[in-house]
Amino acid sequence: MRGRTSRTADEADVDLTPMLDVVFILLIFFIVTSTFVKEMALGIEPPPPPPPPDQITNPTPSIIIEIDHQGLIRVNARVTDITSVRANIERLKAENPQSAVIVQAHPDAKSEVIISIRDQTASAGVSKVNVVLSDVQ
Amino acid sequence: MARRKRNPKGGGNAGDGDVNLTPMLDVVFILLIFFIVTAQFIKEPGVDISRTDVDNDRRVTPLAILIAIDENSDVYANKTLVEPNEIGFTIKALREDNPKGEIVVQADNNSRAEILVKVMKTIFEIDGINASSVNVSTKQD
Repeated sequence: MRGRTSRTADEADVDLTPMLDVVFILLIFFIVTSTFVKEMALGIEPPPPPPPPDQITNPTPSIIIEIDHQGLIRVNARVTDITSVRANIERLKAENPQSAVIVQAHPDAKSEVIISIRDQTASAGVSKVNVVLSDVQ
Repeated sequence: MARRKRNPKGGGNAGDGDVNLTPMLDVVFILLIFFIVTAQFIKEPGVDISRTDVDNDRRVTPLAILIAIDENSDVYANKTLVEPNEIGFTIKALREDNPKGEIVVQADNNSRAEILVKVMKTIFEIDGINASSVNVSTKQD
């Protein structure tokens, strides 16, 4: 009897075991479900929305990088190797700093080429490159 | 005095069979909070893709949705094949689970540009102004 009264009087002594059970179950749940997905990515801009017809499109000529179905790259209609895209972009950017860069890919071109070109243009300091599909006759 | 009186401050060594659980509980709580905070509920596309090695990539955080385009130009999300005209619905459904965070497209090196541009367009239409660009997954270091 004496031990019982002393136990109820003791307000600092709560039975923690059920809470500990719950906490452990939660802990195990979060450990099991946690997946540490790490993704490295490169930003690519989709085709821009068509401008309103009353608005004047920018007068500076765009730098157009064409990719044909075989993966052949043309920068402003000049056949270019993938490694020299950066140099070409830098040269054209120096001539016309305002000009936008547009990648015009054939629907059958490989994604690898687009990603590589976006990487090259990013190295050349171009922040925005719109990728569009070329029309197939 | 056969029974020893319990120490109200919780002295662990006082009673036999009475271990002080407080420090362990502290550790368990810290672990619990760590795993709750870092938990990402991401549904992986579940297809292997070959990626390009580039210089200007960055780590995407917070990550929300993964869409994969495999070498046959088939689109996968959440371990299932997605029909080309259902990509928008799939992204919207996955967005409900993860309202915040970025979408990453895992495009295989040999996938067709047409599919990649279509998926990018769809993402851009859904995210609108919030997405200035679409992330395309690249090879990790």
